[in-house]
Amino acid sequence: MSVSANSPKPSLRAFLAKYSVLIAFAAIVIFFALTSPTFLTPANLFNVLVNNVVMLAIVALGLTIVISSGGIDLSVGVSVDMASMVFVMLLAAGYSGVVGVGGGLGAALVVGILNAILITRLNISPFLATLGVLFIGQSTQQLATSGGQPIYLTSGYASDQFNAIARTALFGVPTPVIVLIVLSIAVHVLLHRSVFGRYVQAMGAQPGVAWYSGIRVPRELSMVHVLCALLAGVTGILLSATVKSYVPLSGNAFLLDAIGATFIGTTLSRERKPSVVGTLLGVLLLAIVKNGLLLVGWNFYWQQVGIGLLVFLVLAVSFGLRRATH
Amino acid sequence: MQTAKREIAVSMSNISKRFGPVRALENANLEIVRGSILGLVGQNGAGKSTIIKVLAGIIKPDSGTIVINGETVTALSPASVEKLGVHFIHQDRLLVPTATVGEAVFLGHEIGFGPFVSRRAMERRAADLLQRFFGLELPVGTLVKDLTTAQQKVVQITRALAQKASVLVLDEPTAALVKREVDSLFDVLRRLRDDGIAVVFISHYMQEIEKLCDRVTVMRNGTDVGTVDPRETSVEEIISMMIARDVGEMFPKRSVTLGAPVLEVANLRLGGGFENIGFNVRAGEIVGLTGLLGSGAKEIVQCLFGLKTADGGLIKVEGRELSLSTPVKAVRDGIAMLPEDRRAHGVALGLSVRENISLASLRRYSKSGLVSRGSENQAVDGLIKELSIKTPHRDALVRELSGGNQQKVAIAKWLSCQSRVYVLDEPTVAVDVGAKVEIYNLLNRLAGEGAAILLLSSDLLELVGVCDRVLVVYRGRLAGTFSGPSMNSDALLAASSGARPDADGVAA
Repeated sequence: MSVSANSPKPSLRAFLAKYSVLIAFAAIVIFFALTSPTFLTPANLFNVLVNNVVMLAIVALGLTIVISSGGIDLSVGVSVDMASMVFVMLLAAGYSGVVGVGGGLGAALVVGILNAILITRLNISPFLATLGVLFIGQSTQQLATSGGQPIYLTSGYASDQFNAIARTALFGVPTPVIVLIVLSIAVHVLLHRSVFGRYVQAMGAQPGVAWYSGIRVPRELSMVHVLCALLAGVTGILLSATVKSYVPLSGNAFLLDAIGATFIGTTLSRERKPSVVGTLLGVLLLAIVKNGLLLVGWNFYWQQVGIGLLVFLVLAVSFGLRRATH
Repeated sequence: MQTAKREIAVSMSNISKRFGPVRALENANLEIVRGSILGLVGQNGAGKSTIIKVLAGIIKPDSGTIVINGETVTALSPASVEKLGVHFIHQDRLLVPTATVGEAVFLGHEIGFGPFVSRRAMERRAADLLQRFFGLELPVGTLVKDLTTAQQKVVQITRALAQKASVLVLDEPTAALVKREVDSLFDVLRRLRDDGIAVVFISHYMQEIEKLCDRVTVMRNGTDVGTVDPRETSVEEIISMMIARDVGEMFPKRSVTLGAPVLEVANLRLGGGFENIGFNVRAGEIVGLTGLLGSGAKEIVQCLFGLKTADGGLIKVEGRELSLSTPVKAVRDGIAMLPEDRRAHGVALGLSVRENISLASLRRYSKSGLVSRGSENQAVDGLIKELSIKTPHRDALVRELSGGNQQKVAIAKWLSCQSRVYVLDEPTVAVDVGAKVEIYNLLNRLAGEGAAILLLSSDLLELVGVCDRVLVVYRGRLAGTFSGPSMNSDALLAASSGARPDADGVAA
């Protein structure tokens, strides 16, 4: 094996520490494959991918950018919901799918800009700023839907528009999956190859150094929050198109899973930095565990316990071993 | 043990310690005497922190004997050392920020009944002790995080005294203090010495050692090379003991022909900071800037980098008038800044050497928004070699580098920008002597290549050794410009204190 000259002697512990996510992933796949006959069937895996992975992953991509910058966005659920609400309302009013999507993304953009203003102009910490937006966003939805009435558009023109997004495929690959692949590549390039990404990493590592290096920190930080909200907005569109409705406050379900996936992903990096590859692995891991537990007959509440244990296990093993190797 | 003089509190002899192949200590000796302040100096890696950690019970020596208060001790632990009356004030303050002063002073030795802590009693006793030892009056219930760094040091010392310390070891206690705070800390230490406490003072600042210590033990390469009286031995001699080479080399000589003015400042004014400041820095020139805390010298430097916006006046770089309201503009206009707080503003410890060096100049190495790793690597490798930055490879984290090499990374960042003006804010703070010399050499080379350099420093020897000219700021105004033979540390000191030795102009 040809390794670079100054790479350290590989030790088992270091290997385990670095690849704990992958190992956990493999172990879980094998476990469910053995315990559930339907788990490894193409139909089930396809279902997991389309229903459990795509939407969560897109929200998590946005959070990966924000967490890389040293911040957090607790209002991603609001961005999802606002995009979903405006999209569905526009279709209900008879506008075209293109206008609906544009309007939905515009609504998410507004959430992102609001976050950006609170954080960079009013100097409120990202945690508190986005928490405030989360509260406001939730109430806004309830006010706009007379206390949280869902809007269903299951037939007719709107339904066709939904199907055009959620039920089409290119070369056999469903459109939402293609959207995820395109966005993943775009965010990967942005975060790990572009000048903007480098600035984001610098702000995350040491904001003072970024400022003293002549980086326009407020502008870059605004961009970070706008991008995150827009990505969450994409999920809002896909969600509505899939369930053919707008259900108020449904976006929040993504928040904690997306944060969890991003942090599971950080175990891939020596410096525990978020990365697109790590985040996608984290999302896959969560989705497979949820699906597998369902198949072996655990109910929803036990799934949450299972996921909690998994997050603990992966993080504890990775960090514990790393500390020991140091 | 009746004699008041030369009563030995701690005697460490022939201490050796190896870490793998590295010899950290080799037959090192240290003698700490009651009623006396011992300075402990040496370059980074000379073994001074290792021998202190041995005494603190943190590191177990391979061989050697330690005698504390006449008793030979084996198997020291941090707790048993404290019981013997030896206390350590570590460099990083180890106080709980949200604790009150009383809680901090009695941390680990709380006053109370059984499991209940009497907060009121602790606050009262702490206030008593602070008043008695240091004449320091703080409102009852003051939180640690609301104290100045100097007050936190005092609280730490009070904690040691509350536990009847007989030996007090301070590791770089002045690193985060301003001049006035240093003076009051020194008064405290002298008072403790007069009360018979043995004080050990570790510092990089030779002027402090000279001012404060009764004896100085110099360490080099893991052993003590001598103990001298600073009143009889000059700072230059002590430094040459530390580095085993002539201190004349410390400030390398250079000869540069000065070019046209690169940085021109006229009538610069900042409310509450300074006024009527005007000076030029020519290509190839190193101009020093100094002043006491609150004199406005620091604020001048901040205005030149857009960290503060001047209320009026003119800043020109290469004849072009600038409006500097943010560092973004300053960097674009070719001004480089080496900030005083390296870890907060100079280098990002969690990023690699490469990412740090290219951070301010990424646009040079990018095409349509994407970083071109090839040209970035090439430039970074070139700078690592040029500045002889000691790093395993370009992707090593800056955290893994020594202080001096971190500073070189911070300088390399601006070389990569090809800045024209370098503004340096205390560039050699907490950098060992060897790395200092390298930084001075680097400044000389930058100047030689035609850069204009403004060096803000409170190290007067450094200013005299490095600069062509030194500007002294006193109470927000230029109090004088010194060059040639008139530029000596006595003159600079006199001018910065308003030619009155006891100037009280620190409250701006």
